[in-house]
Amino acid sequence: MTDSTPDSAPDITPEPDARRPEQAAVSRRRLLGAVGAGAAVAGAAVGVGGTVLAGGGSSGSGGDGSGGAAGSQVVAFRDGHQAGIATPSQDRLCFAAFDAVPGATRADLADLLKTWTAAAEAMTLGRPVPGDAGDLNTPPDDTGEAVGLAPGHLTVTIGYGPSLFDGRFGLAARRPSALRTLPRLPRDELDPAGSGGDLCVQACADDPQVAFHAVRNLRRLAFGTLAPRWMELGFGRTSSTSPQQATPRNLLGFKDGTRNIDGTDASMMAEHVWIGDEEPQRWARGGSYLVSRKIQMRLEQWDRDRLGDQQDVFGRFKSSGAPLTGKTESDTPDFHARSGGQYVIPADAHIRLAAHENNNGLRILRRGYSYTDGIDPETGDLLGGLFFVAFMKSPEQFVTLQRVLGAHDALNEYIQHVGSGVFVAPPGLAAGQDWSGQLFG
Amino acid sequence: MNPAATHRRVLACAATVIAAGMLLTACGGDKDKGASGTDAKAAGAKTSKVTITITDKGCAPSPAKAPAGTVKFSVANKNSAKVTEAELQDGGKMLGEKENLTPGLSGDFTLNLDKGTYSVYCPGASADRAAFTVTGAVVKTWKDDPQLVAATEQYGTWIDGEVKQLVTTTAAFTAAVKAGKLDDAKTLYGKARIHYERIEPTAEIWGDLDGRIDGRADDAATPADFTGFHRLEQAIWQKKSLAGTAKLADQLNADVKSLDDQVPTVEYQPAVIANGATDLVNEIQSSKITGEEERYSHIDLLDFDGNLAGANEAVDVLMPTLKKKDPALAAEVTQRYQATAAALKKYAATPGYEDSGYVDYQKVTDAQRRTLSQTVDAYAESVSKIAGKIA
Repeated sequence: MTDSTPDSAPDITPEPDARRPEQAAVSRRRLLGAVGAGAAVAGAAVGVGGTVLAGGGSSGSGGDGSGGAAGSQVVAFRDGHQAGIATPSQDRLCFAAFDAVPGATRADLADLLKTWTAAAEAMTLGRPVPGDAGDLNTPPDDTGEAVGLAPGHLTVTIGYGPSLFDGRFGLAARRPSALRTLPRLPRDELDPAGSGGDLCVQACADDPQVAFHAVRNLRRLAFGTLAPRWMELGFGRTSSTSPQQATPRNLLGFKDGTRNIDGTDASMMAEHVWIGDEEPQRWARGGSYLVSRKIQMRLEQWDRDRLGDQQDVFGRFKSSGAPLTGKTESDTPDFHARSGGQYVIPADAHIRLAAHENNNGLRILRRGYSYTDGIDPETGDLLGGLFFVAFMKSPEQFVTLQRVLGAHDALNEYIQHVGSGVFVAPPGLAAGQDWSGQLFG
Repeated sequence: MNPAATHRRVLACAATVIAAGMLLTACGGDKDKGASGTDAKAAGAKTSKVTITITDKGCAPSPAKAPAGTVKFSVANKNSAKVTEAELQDGGKMLGEKENLTPGLSGDFTLNLDKGTYSVYCPGASADRAAFTVTGAVVKTWKDDPQLVAATEQYGTWIDGEVKQLVTTTAAFTAAVKAGKLDDAKTLYGKARIHYERIEPTAEIWGDLDGRIDGRADDAATPADFTGFHRLEQAIWQKKSLAGTAKLADQLNADVKSLDDQVPTVEYQPAVIANGATDLVNEIQSSKITGEEERYSHIDLLDFDGNLAGANEAVDVLMPTLKKKDPALAAEVTQRYQATAAALKKYAATPGYEDSGYVDYQKVTDAQRRTLSQTVDAYAESVSKIAGKIA
C-alpha cells in the first residue's frame, strides 16, 4: 500500500457531459430491441425494430480534470510502451485474469490475440468492437453499453502469467526470465480462485461502464479459448502517477502514493519500471512486470482505532498527508528523527518500511484502486480494500518489499492479502503489429 | 424453461396464426407480405418509381419495366377530360389504381410486384392498355434453397417423432403415478422428461401448455397453478407421497396429447431453428447447470443431455448449408459441441442415478459445474452465430 499526501480530499469534479460527436467512422450499432412475442398475434406479423441506443455522456470523476471533447479523451493505443502503465491513473479500473480452457491450441490463442488487438484498439478510440452490420438474425458484435459514452481515456493493458509459458502453447522458450509465480510471502492467505491466471487484462477509464464494457467484450471474444478466472472492479485510483494529479486517499482515509514514481520521468521509469536490455527475451524489452494483490482491509476495526495510532501506523498525518516529521505532504520523511528516545516515525510505520531509502533504493510504480465486494456473509462487515497493482522491472522488487512489510508492517493488524497475480506486460505495439505476432514471434 | 409470461426468443421475428395451424416466420421471410421493415431490408429496401401520364390517347408507363419488389406509380392527368383513372392489372385482376383524377390532378399508389407481365389500364383512352414488365425474381428466400427446405422438413420430422415418444413415456410415467408406484415413477420420470427437454423451443410456442407441463413452483401464481412434471417431481422426491396426484397425472397426460395434436402444424424456418438451438444451449446454462430445473429429483444431467441433443439436431440439419456458407464457423460449432458432449460424458453412469444414465447432480461439485458451464458457454456463443450465416 502506500505512502501518502496533500492537504485536501481527492479532487473529484464531475466532468461535463461529453458526448461523442457523430463521426462517420463511428458506426453506431443497431441493437435488437426487446421483442415481446410471447403470444402469437392473429393474422399480423410482428415487425422487429432495430433500436439505436444513444446514451448520454457519462460523468466519470475526471481525476486529471480533463473533460471536454471526445478527441481529447483518447489515449494512444500504440506506442513504445503499453498504455495504462505510465498513463496518468484514470479513476476506474476493471481487471480480469483469464485461464486458457482445456484443449485450447496455439492457433486458437494466436487468433484470439489478433482479434483482441483490433477490438481493444477500437474501444480505446471510443468505437464499438468491429464487425456489426446490423443483421437482425445475428447477435450484435458489440454488447452496446458504451454507445454514446466518451472514450474516457480508456487504456487496455495486457499481461501474460507464468503458466502461459508452460508446454501448452509452445511458448516455453519465450518465457521472460523473471516471470514465475511469486513465492509465499509473510502472512499471505491467498484464495487460489482469486489468484494467478494465464493472462490478464487491465482496463482503466474515467467511466466504470467504459472499463467494464472493454473487459466484457474481450471476454466474449475469448469464448472457447480463454475463460475468466477472477475479476475486480476498482473505483477511486489510490495512486498518482503524474505530478498533475492530486494524491488520492485509500479506504483507510490516508493519502496513498505520495512518493510514487512519476510516470513522466523517463529516467526513473527506465531504472525501475521498464524491462531493459538485461532481459534475454528481446520481445519483452520495453514491457514491465505487473504484480496485483488483493488487499482486504478490516475497515470497522480500523475505524475504531484512535487517530494517534492510525497516524503512527502510517507514519503520516491523516489530514495533511505530511510525514510525522514534516509539515506538508511533499516533505521528505526524516527516518532518524527521535523524540523522547523514540522514533517520531515508528520503527514499524508503513512508510518507513516501504521507503526506498530503507530498501537500497528499491522503487515500484504503484497504480492501485479501491474495491468493495459488498458484505461479508459471515460477519456482516463491509468487504473492501485495496486492489493493489504495481509495475516494475522485475517482480523481485515487489517480493523484497513485501517480505519486509509482511513481516513487520504495523498495518498488518488491519489488512490481509487475499489475492495475488504476476504477469509480464509486453511492450507497446508498433503500427501494423498485433499482440499475437508480438508474443509468438 | 419458464412458462407463458416469459419473453420467447423462438418467436422473435413474427408469429402468425392461420386456420391451418401455426406458422413460424423468420426474420426477413415472406415476401408476399411486403409490409414489415425486415422485408424491406431484405429486399434491399429499394423502391422503383414509374410515371404514368394520362392523356386522351393513353397511359403509357415510363419506364415500362421495373425490377421485382416495391414499385411506386405516380399518376398525373395532364389535360384529359375523357380519362380520369389508371390502374395496374394482372391478367384482368386489378392490383392498384388512382381514380378521379381531373385535369391537373395527380396521385400515386405503391405495389409489391413479382416477376411477370402486367398492364396499365385507363378506361376511356384511345389506347386504353399499355404493357408493364417486372423483371428478375423476388429476393430469394430460404424456400428457394432445396437444402434448407430439406433441413426444415428433417427437423420437423424429428420433433414430431420426439413428441410421439413424449406421449408414450408420459403415459407410462403417469400410469405409475396413478398406481401409487413411487419407485417406478422415479425411474419413469426421466424417461419422459428427456423428450420434452429436446423439443423445448417448439413446445414453448404454446405458452399455456408449456407452463402447465413444465412450470416450476415459483412460476405459479397460486399453489393450484403449479401442475405438470415438476409438481409430480416434488410429490415423488420431496413429499415422497403420491397421495392426491391422480388429477395432476391425468392433466399432464392430456396436455402432452394436446401438444402432440398441435406440433405437426408448425412450419419451421431455418433462422428460427438455429435460434431455437441457441435457446436450448442457454437453457442448459440457466436451468441445468444451476440445478434449478430438477430441484427435487436432481436428474439435471439428463435434462442437460436432452437440451444438448435438441440443439445438436437443430445444428445438424443446418450443417450442410453452414459448411457452404461459413466453413470456419461450422468447424467451430462441431468442435465445441464435441467438447460439451465430452464434458457431460464424464458424468455418465449405467444405469445411473434414478435410471437416468447419469450421476446424481448433487454429487457434482461447484468447481465441476463451473467447468461444465464454461464448455456450454463457448458452444452457445458459436451456435448464436449460425442464424445470421444461413438466413
